[in-house]
Amino acid sequence: MDLTTLARQLTETIGAEHVSSTPDACAAYALAGQTPDIVAAPGSVAELGQVMALASAHRAIVTPWGGGTRQAHGGLLARAAGRPWLVIRTRRLNRLVEYEPADLTIVVEAGMTPVELDALLRPHGQMLPVDAPLPERTTLGGMIATAADGPRRLGYGLLRDLLLGTSVVETSGRISKAGGAVVKNVSGYDMMKLYLGSYGTLAIVATASFKLIPRPRDAATIWCSFATQAAAFALVEALHTSQLAPAAVEYLAGAEDLPAPRGLAVLAEGLQAAVERHVRDVSHLARQAGAQDVQILRDEDSTRLWARIANLPQTADPAPNELVVRLSCLPSDLNQALQDAASLADRHGLALLVDARALSGVAYLRLHSAATANQAGTALRAWHQELLVRWPYLAVLACAVVTEEGRPLKEHLSPWGPEPAGYTLMQRIKHEFDPQGMLNPGRFVV
Amino acid sequence: MERAQLIEELRRIVGSDGVLYRPEDLVTYDSDGCVMETHAPQVVVLPTSTEQVSAVVKLAAQAGMPIVPRGAGTGLSGGATPRHGGIVVTTSRMSRILEFDARNGRVLVEPGVINFELSQYLKPYGYQFAADPSSQKACTVGGNFANNSGGPHCIKYGVTGSHVLGAEVVLADGSVIWTGEGVPDRPGYDLTGILVGSEGTMALATKIWLKATRLPESTRVVLALFPDISNSVETVSQVIAGGFLPAALEVMDRLAIKAVNEAYKMGLPASAGAALIIEVDGVEDGLDELLAEIVDICNKNAAIEVRPARTVEEQTQVWAARKNAFGAMGRLAPTYYLVDTVVPRTRLPFMMEQVKLISQEFDLPIANVFHAGDGNLHPIILFDRSDPDQYQRAHEAASRVMKLSIEQGGVISGEHGIGMEKQEYMPLLFTADDLGAMAAVHESFDPNDLFNPGKIFPRTQTGKELASQRHAVMAGHTNGENEFDKVTRLIKSQGEKVWI
Repeated sequence: MDLTTLARQLTETIGAEHVSSTPDACAAYALAGQTPDIVAAPGSVAELGQVMALASAHRAIVTPWGGGTRQAHGGLLARAAGRPWLVIRTRRLNRLVEYEPADLTIVVEAGMTPVELDALLRPHGQMLPVDAPLPERTTLGGMIATAADGPRRLGYGLLRDLLLGTSVVETSGRISKAGGAVVKNVSGYDMMKLYLGSYGTLAIVATASFKLIPRPRDAATIWCSFATQAAAFALVEALHTSQLAPAAVEYLAGAEDLPAPRGLAVLAEGLQAAVERHVRDVSHLARQAGAQDVQILRDEDSTRLWARIANLPQTADPAPNELVVRLSCLPSDLNQALQDAASLADRHGLALLVDARALSGVAYLRLHSAATANQAGTALRAWHQELLVRWPYLAVLACAVVTEEGRPLKEHLSPWGPEPAGYTLMQRIKHEFDPQGMLNPGRFVV
Repeated sequence: MERAQLIEELRRIVGSDGVLYRPEDLVTYDSDGCVMETHAPQVVVLPTSTEQVSAVVKLAAQAGMPIVPRGAGTGLSGGATPRHGGIVVTTSRMSRILEFDARNGRVLVEPGVINFELSQYLKPYGYQFAADPSSQKACTVGGNFANNSGGPHCIKYGVTGSHVLGAEVVLADGSVIWTGEGVPDRPGYDLTGILVGSEGTMALATKIWLKATRLPESTRVVLALFPDISNSVETVSQVIAGGFLPAALEVMDRLAIKAVNEAYKMGLPASAGAALIIEVDGVEDGLDELLAEIVDICNKNAAIEVRPARTVEEQTQVWAARKNAFGAMGRLAPTYYLVDTVVPRTRLPFMMEQVKLISQEFDLPIANVFHAGDGNLHPIILFDRSDPDQYQRAHEAASRVMKLSIEQGGVISGEHGIGMEKQEYMPLLFTADDLGAMAAVHESFDPNDLFNPGKIFPRTQTGKELASQRHAVMAGHTNGENEFDKVTRLIKSQGEKVWI
């Protein structure tokens, strides 16, 4: 392992001020107690390509790093002995490439944050309604790599539906693009779908183009407090059966700073009359379902609540005794899955925070133990194993807990659940893109 | 394997009535809706189950014969044409709707189900299958899956890819996997996403979980007639800028209006240079006010006539003009070449001007029907196929439209696919490295090029060749040149505009 040469070559390529190679300077990028050897921050797509080519020549292990908000997701990095570990930051790639508002599309570099993007879109009455957590820190590239979602996936679809094209830097340093900057395109394979949610294991996203949505004219939130989960889900069922078209329906339990400890937040967006109709009908359905209280939030109050909800799936850094998972299931199973999660949490003495996309079948669960670290590890591990038996689509998003032996608890968890169907095929794809096993080994399914 | 033996084996797998091999039977399968090139297969099979498809695929792999999947054959890019012969697997006997799960908004279908029949089936339950290509009365959902089909409503609802939850697919070794069933955010690579739109070149879907979308409570449609295309495009921009995304925005030009007038007695004014259909939907509340606003915008943009349609009957009539536009072209010429490209939507007026010039230059009438919301244009080049000179000119005119679309920041297909029709244009849109990445995926699925060979990738740069070139790059064997230098040189040659 010739770290000195790699560091020197990187310095020559992108400038000394953008390369860190001392343990102190790299400490901020440590993952699960391990510190990378070098952190490099290329300033252009071309430099990103060059950095990757150098990394490849040195058979480095590479961790692409956007805002660093989702580096805790998944498995532990498998650091092979004798191979340098390089973190490549994309944050300096934050330029606007192309934006003609009337086209309803935009092309940007991947290091841009959603807050920066929104500042460009807002004056033109447009938006990218993805609502990922920590929008001032997370990057669009990171959101693509982790397939980030937000409450409004119900109304506007997923990032998967809004991502029109990408250019990526591959392990060889070569740049390849896919898709385009137009909203409809069947020219060649939809490569973006493969990069989306691949956790940086195939290539590094350099630029991305998105389909934009006109900002709604009006919005209101109907907050419905419930005493029980069952009652809240009675409202979920009623909403499902109705022809109402809310932009978001979130079931929330155990979180602070919300109007009530347990409730359903329904967001209506669109024409003013349509929003008022939702306010009326949802309030009525909520009372029928036994809501204890119904509050209508507008303007700033509404915006603040949804900003809070969007951040619920994670904090900037996981708390010491915390486990964060994403559970997915068929929407019809969500009520039962959440009941199972809650009763297991009770049994193991864990506090549970639930943020569930109630009509989509996705829930972010945060488990916290007030016990000592060792007891917490045992309880969290048991909770995870028992829930995984019943609900196999359980992804570990964060867990900083350390076991009695001083090892990360993650080593004992199956971070992505059982082997997915088509696993062999996924391995073949991974091998075609990354034959040297450079990109984020151990972190993802493949 | 001898042909007779192959046929015998296939008959054993799918039954004797499920195998076609007489020359007169094979003619039907020698092309799809794109008749620029025809190639008859050696044999056609009509399986009824996944097990049969799997057995046929295993047999084909053993015999070294291509498998060419085929739905209704309505494709327009030669995707179902058996270029290298082989076994055409047609899904017409796999056409059952297996399960509708309203609670989870999903429906399980076999690939041979007709798109329109699926929506008809779902309608009484208050649901639809939202991808609605113009060929929906004939095309199959398996074909929609393969081509990632669009339709007039995808500005709001998205293309087929947004409505496929997962599929049971037969892989090149005959094994069968499920890529998803409707559980969201499954860990692992998005195999469903990469298979949709892969034009049958990587696997064959035998069951598909599709999203069933709730029908909107209410709909309003406006038909507005303008003196010129530019008025209609400006109207569309203003409607979108008003903060509301319509469900459909369709434009027909003067010649297309003439065709539907003649064919269907639509009675549209002859002075109209453009007809714009705007559809909005959602809950009933507010739609009438919105309709009034839209009518107002149309009038401000010099509309000759505006016909708001509130009732289902009125709306059906308005849509009939658009949906039958292609059929009406038969009134104007014996044959037409339907081009399908996309540009950023603000470039549409420029493209329409250019199409007019192309029409003059090649001396062929060109009608236009396009999706104004998403920049997808469809110049319809009218010609007589029996005249070799006209045939040649029609193809050159189409080629010009494709090149212009790329120059304008667009792409060469919005919804019809690449197939054989556009494979030679792929290098104009993509670099060898871009195509190489696609080839790498193809290599992972179908290393022996069993499924629908000779499509998508250019003939001069097959997927196989691109994949091996890429292997050399990955291994650092690129003619002795240091890869860092090579990357630097490549990036410099691409200039500032790396993307797009």
